[in-house]
Amino acid sequence: MPDSLVSFIQVLRTHDVRISPAETLDAMHVATTLGYSDRTLLRDGLGMTLAKTPEEEAIFLQCFDRFFDRQLADFSEEQQPDEQSAVEDNETDTASTPDQDSSESDTTSESSPLEEAAQSDPSLEELMQSELMQALVNNDRNALSLAMTKAGEAAGLQQIQMFTQKGQFTRKILDAMGEEQIRKSVIELERADSPALSELQRYRDILREQVRDHVESQYLLHAQGKTQQFMEDVLSKTRLSNIEHTYLHRVHDLVRKMAKKLAARHSHKRREYRRGQLNMPRTMRAGIANDGLMFDVHWRRTRKEKPQILAVCDVSGSVAAYAKFLLLFLYSLQDVLPRVRSFAFSSNLGEVSELFEQYPVEKAIELVNWKYGGATDYGTALTDFANLALDDINSNTTVIILGDARNNKGDPKLEIMQSIYQRSRQVIWLNPESRRAWATGDSEMQRYQSACHFAAECNNLKQLERIIDQLLKSTR
Amino acid sequence: MHNQDFPQLASVESIKEGFESFGYICSDKIATAVFLAFQLRKPILVEGPPGVGKTELAKTTSQLLETPLIRLQCYEGLDEAKALYEWKYGKQLLYTQVLKEKLGDLLQGTHDLAESVERLHQFGDIFYSEEFLEPRPLLKAMQQERGAILLIDEVDKSDYEFESLLLEILSDYQISIPEIGTVKARTTPMVFLTSNNTRDLSDALKRRCLHLYIPFPTVELEERIIRSRVPDVDEKLRHQLVEFVHSLRQMDLKKIPAISETIDWARSLLLLHADKLDEELVRSTLNVLLKFEDDIDATDSELRQLIRDTTRD
Repeated sequence: MPDSLVSFIQVLRTHDVRISPAETLDAMHVATTLGYSDRTLLRDGLGMTLAKTPEEEAIFLQCFDRFFDRQLADFSEEQQPDEQSAVEDNETDTASTPDQDSSESDTTSESSPLEEAAQSDPSLEELMQSELMQALVNNDRNALSLAMTKAGEAAGLQQIQMFTQKGQFTRKILDAMGEEQIRKSVIELERADSPALSELQRYRDILREQVRDHVESQYLLHAQGKTQQFMEDVLSKTRLSNIEHTYLHRVHDLVRKMAKKLAARHSHKRREYRRGQLNMPRTMRAGIANDGLMFDVHWRRTRKEKPQILAVCDVSGSVAAYAKFLLLFLYSLQDVLPRVRSFAFSSNLGEVSELFEQYPVEKAIELVNWKYGGATDYGTALTDFANLALDDINSNTTVIILGDARNNKGDPKLEIMQSIYQRSRQVIWLNPESRRAWATGDSEMQRYQSACHFAAECNNLKQLERIIDQLLKSTR
Repeated sequence: MHNQDFPQLASVESIKEGFESFGYICSDKIATAVFLAFQLRKPILVEGPPGVGKTELAKTTSQLLETPLIRLQCYEGLDEAKALYEWKYGKQLLYTQVLKEKLGDLLQGTHDLAESVERLHQFGDIFYSEEFLEPRPLLKAMQQERGAILLIDEVDKSDYEFESLLLEILSDYQISIPEIGTVKARTTPMVFLTSNNTRDLSDALKRRCLHLYIPFPTVELEERIIRSRVPDVDEKLRHQLVEFVHSLRQMDLKKIPAISETIDWARSLLLLHADKLDEELVRSTLNVLLKFEDDIDATDSELRQLIRDTTRD
């Protein structure tokens, strides 16, 4: 049992539940304390040590049911009613599952056509005596699932990664369990046109179905998480403009996760001691207990304000492919950080923070695109931005601009950028174009760069995460 | 704490029964958590919306075990002087004053400064011994002979640094005091931490605890809770009021009414001699359940419908 607990924890890890070795030990202790007899008790107990948030608990419950289904449910709970029903209502219970009524036909009829055929055919006789057939004929689910699990382990089913491997594993397991013999006999019986054919075929179908189910459930358990991790890895490294629209929801999850991680890392309050300034009232108060002698010296301290972030996003045609993702990122950032104001523009600029708050992400992005999409004019946009927000920019403000700085040869209004630069704590420009293209054509990037604290190329999620992480670190 | 001392904690069932005798009706999960915490000597981190009985759980456990409850309420700026220990500066001062004369006798016969200091060294750090230590909740919990229930309330309100301070206590049940050394718990206390999730706790802290999430109870469980807390409420009214609160929880409110509010409401309805819910009554007592004017306004238009739904059967 400890083995299966360890592999269960392995499964949880692939499903994004972080479990340390110490917690694995705790889980072992829990399992030995509670015992394996009461399933819900064990589930609750393990859940308490392994899942640390409500979200993780939901994942845990799902995985627990899937993982321990075969080991526990089939063994203890389901088998008893099966046996009972086989004994009690032999005659009536014919409309149930095929393996059930096959077992009944064994107990009720004197001998099945298959057994008759076996008596005259030594190879079939041998097959009938094999463990596999015995298990099938006697409806021995224990033996069957045990054999299946063993064969699965031997075939390395836990390594399954892609849904395309399902067929291959099913085949491997069937072979390992000795299905080949049944297949041969089926062919032989077919040739002989024996009455036993249909019965043997049914057994074979049951077997196949069981194995397919087993592989399916194992796939869901082991591969789903891995596939997801793989996808996320790929997506985060792909150029944003190349990601298909169909993956948008996945990217959304990914971006959210990323934004949450960043927020968690950077959100806690920072205090700084300003040595040198004595806090007289506190020191005196602390001294009262000591006969007025000032043992404890208290210093004044200041609390650092959380940074305010103003994010401006270009949604014009030239960056349309990126805008979607940048907006997505803005949306998520606003969700997790308390003081983010978002703006969007192509020629006219407007604040979209409220839109983001009111609508779900897809709707919000659509609305922003519809409202602000069009031809680029950085000059007008900057003027609008200055009207809206310049007064709010102070030494605690970070301004992030997402755009390609292609201004259709219009007036770049560099002076506004410069006044933003002077007032703010920092100005960051993220450009989806590669650095080489910055000075070409109508790109004003080099000029704007002069009014930025930091300008970087940013066209996939990994880069975005790294930059924002740096940014938040430096804004502390 | 050892098994034989506390037969109340021998099994999940006995914990449940024990809690019930003190009027705390709990789910299997809660009882399992307490059982495991006791058996594995691990702290429990209790999370959940406000008012579902997180603090109450610790209090009831202390009643059940007849051990003292030591409570540490966390807040921003809580530091070790208030949570762990403090030196009794006044006493130290007083003693040095009183003992001044003794010093002369002590140093009699020494010839030079070096010799005097040498002799003084022999006495060690008398003024930094346990006599002069003022224990604060965490240390106090370690010092209890028969064990204690330590409740660290609303740990999410404390600073990030304070969490790190807790780690040593939570995993090894000991406290390091630089001047004295390590103080180990005489008897392992049972530790409950509660959190309202105003911020994420660090992984290191979470890893050391059993994680118990108490959600709002089901209708059935809540009815049992009301029955045990406010036994005089008529059965029909009890069902109606619990149903009503449950339908309120479905709504989009600023502050969702919790169990404690349901209990308060049941008490107020009892005082008003109500035997069934009607619009007038609910409207006049709604402020017991809802704590924001906005919430009361928001429910106002749907009140009639809600009452009709809950009193239908």
